[in-house]
Amino acid sequence: MDLVLIQILNGLQYGLLIFLAASGLTLVFGILGIINLSHGSFYMLGAYAALTLTEPLGDVFRALAVGIPLAFLFGLAIEWLFIRHLYKRDHLQQVLLTFAMILIFNEVQQTIWGSHPHSIPTPPYLTASIRLTETLSYPVYRLVLTAICVALALAMVIVVQYTRVGRLIRAAESNREMVETLGFDSELLFRFVFATGVALAAAAGIIAAPVESAYPGIGDKVLIISFVVVVIGGIGSIRGAFVGALLIGLADAMGKVFLPSLASVMIYAVMALVLVLRPAGLFGRA
Amino acid sequence: MMFRWPSLPVAIALSVVFVALACVPFVLGPYAVKFTTRVVVLAIMVTSLDLLIGITGLVSFGHAAFFALGAYAVYFVSPESLSANALVALAAGAALAALGALVIGVFAMLTRGFYFIMVTLAAGQMVFSMFYDTNIAKGSDGAYVNVKPDLIVGGLTVLDFDNRTQFFYLCLILLATTYAFLLWLVRSRFGRSLQGIRINEQRMRALGYDTYTYRLAVFVIAGAIAGIAGALFASIDGYITPELASWRESGLAIMMVVLGGTGTLYGAVIGAFAYSVLEEILKSASTVGPFISEHWRLWMGLALAVAVLGAPRGLAGLFARKPTAEKASASIDVLHRDFARPARRAQALSTRDLTRYFGGLRAVDGVSLDLKGNLVHAIIGPNGAGKTTFINLLSGELKPNGGRVLIDDIDITGWPPHRVARSGIGRSFQRTNIFPDFSLRENCGLAAEARLPTGAAAERISHALAVAGLRDRADTTAGQLSSGEQRQLEIAMLIASGADLLLLDEPLAGMGPEETQRVVALLRDLARDHTIVLIEHDMDAVFAAADTLTVLVQGRVLAHGAPADVRGNDAVREAYLGEADAA
Repeated sequence: MDLVLIQILNGLQYGLLIFLAASGLTLVFGILGIINLSHGSFYMLGAYAALTLTEPLGDVFRALAVGIPLAFLFGLAIEWLFIRHLYKRDHLQQVLLTFAMILIFNEVQQTIWGSHPHSIPTPPYLTASIRLTETLSYPVYRLVLTAICVALALAMVIVVQYTRVGRLIRAAESNREMVETLGFDSELLFRFVFATGVALAAAAGIIAAPVESAYPGIGDKVLIISFVVVVIGGIGSIRGAFVGALLIGLADAMGKVFLPSLASVMIYAVMALVLVLRPAGLFGRA
Repeated sequence: MMFRWPSLPVAIALSVVFVALACVPFVLGPYAVKFTTRVVVLAIMVTSLDLLIGITGLVSFGHAAFFALGAYAVYFVSPESLSANALVALAAGAALAALGALVIGVFAMLTRGFYFIMVTLAAGQMVFSMFYDTNIAKGSDGAYVNVKPDLIVGGLTVLDFDNRTQFFYLCLILLATTYAFLLWLVRSRFGRSLQGIRINEQRMRALGYDTYTYRLAVFVIAGAIAGIAGALFASIDGYITPELASWRESGLAIMMVVLGGTGTLYGAVIGAFAYSVLEEILKSASTVGPFISEHWRLWMGLALAVAVLGAPRGLAGLFARKPTAEKASASIDVLHRDFARPARRAQALSTRDLTRYFGGLRAVDGVSLDLKGNLVHAIIGPNGAGKTTFINLLSGELKPNGGRVLIDDIDITGWPPHRVARSGIGRSFQRTNIFPDFSLRENCGLAAEARLPTGAAAERISHALAVAGLRDRADTTAGQLSSGEQRQLEIAMLIASGADLLLLDEPLAGMGPEETQRVVALLRDLARDHTIVLIEHDMDAVFAAADTLTVLVQGRVLAHGAPADVRGNDAVREAYLGEADAA
């Protein structure tokens, strides 16, 4: 029973983390119309940024504070360099170019950080565990991590629901041509949305680093899971990404308890089930 | 544009490449033979992917799964220390991959576009996990095929996969065979239908094609070919790993297709070679120096990025002829009134209490109508009255929440669109819905072949084009027609499909007065052997064309009868005609 409780907590925490990555992916697809295979690379670069920044800055939260703006700037540069050429191209070419970007990012990572896994220290004041029941304790850092994810998710909801930019994002998601016709600078909006997506993915990579550590294939794993989440939730839907991420987080964690040999198939089975029932995802428009 | 034979220069170039490849074992060493074998095997797999992506428009991100299934099949049929029969090994590869494609396809074909990409990606990952996490084939360590397959007939070794040169020639012959088979397949009736599905699936469904089955069939065929390639691949090194099924391999295959140029088939071969050779060059320190070879992925990525941005139509696109722009002629040929054909009884259509809601909105609310055969029935009503929803309920695009639809006495309620189409209903859409890249004849061909054998179809096509007054433009590309002519083409497609009942959603929208007059005359003429239901806003045209008039307001029938009677109805004047006059 304790194991189940622990796994529920782990599942929620993993789900929230994946939500940060998937929300950027779903926005980029819903608004820019871009299938971005390199999205996982931004998570990976975040994890490695945590590795490099944590030591000189002292702890991983300072690395987060510096890393988010850096990632945003990096996102602006990538959009200008690669992504903006893809807006009028078809999905295939997007797949091809962003696949090429994965090769480039992986090589950059190999060159700078090498192919060995690296662990990132948990801040010393958060290394303790909290006793939840008689026999059960849970690391404090994981709880803090969950809290930060919730805070970022809330911040995103507030921005999307209650600010002018957010209104524009929602409008562009439902009808991009109309927003352009109304005279908004869609290029600027696209660049902002893409860079935000990069920053969110990198933020997830940074704060997860003390738990997940940094290793070369980490971006692939996050990419595939994020795509599954986006499909389950419905393309372009933040709410869908949230529900989908928690669903996948829990399915993955429960799979590890009850069907250990099939755990990695669980999430795909959940996706297949959702798509058979609702081919456009839980919150997608058919 | 419909798939064409490769042009003469391309055909010559392909032959030269084939001969050059055949010379490799004589000119280069064993390493080069092995490398070329691997690329030839990859090319077979990538060509089968182009059948999905370039021909049918199915961007499968899980094609490597079928390649891997084919490779594992060889492991499954190979005894521990004996050789398997080569033919059994290849057949097992094709069969296991085809089975996998069937199981995955049944689900994946329910989805489209981005969702399809993701579902196939996930399916590929499931196959990967199946081999990686379980012990059915040695798990993540990969498995060895200890003795490679061979074929011994009457004590004589006919095929030996261990003989590197012989195996190379087998792979080369299979590549040529695959290419020839796909050329034939794509130009067959089945292949033409696949191309129609790529360009406009909704239209194909409305014409009576069961597009789900077509897509599933091509998915299984492509899977089987990838399986054969996988079986060959397993015989190169005799070592297979779960990574063969991973999404990276699928991504690489897509990359090769796009790099070479989609929809050409030979482009896939070019892509496979261009990618593999470039990778090989970048990896070899002696050619490019250690700085580049150490970071070859970086340069590979940059090279690909440049290729995408610089050659949007792929490498094959650099050689392909530019489509010659046909001059759009503005001449309007007159309706072939002299085209005599016997009158024929057409089916009648009726509805009983037909109802459909969207959320709380009753878009169609208990409509019961009898639309008799061989008449033109017009449905009018203000915007949002439920006219298009009504047509969608008749054609099967939407399922009703209640009520029934009958053709003569057959209850067709709830049938899928392609089945409705086969039972005699043809429809046009509010926005012109043709295959713009195909010629008029090809457009009508797709319509006719939904139900007819090819020979009979040819006659029907000329008949349809003549009736619609487009006989002189049969070989023009449809996209070059004026918008009015495109609506005529839609009607011609419906005639060619052999539909008895024509549902036309605003056939006159966007037409000038002359075109309108011509189409009205066409409709009157068509009623001799068809039943026509049309939605239209142009009141003068409606009164000129229609035998009965139905007024829909807020999903309900306000009036139904002869145009003159309906025109006299006060409620209608108030609700609709008054509004139209004012506008």
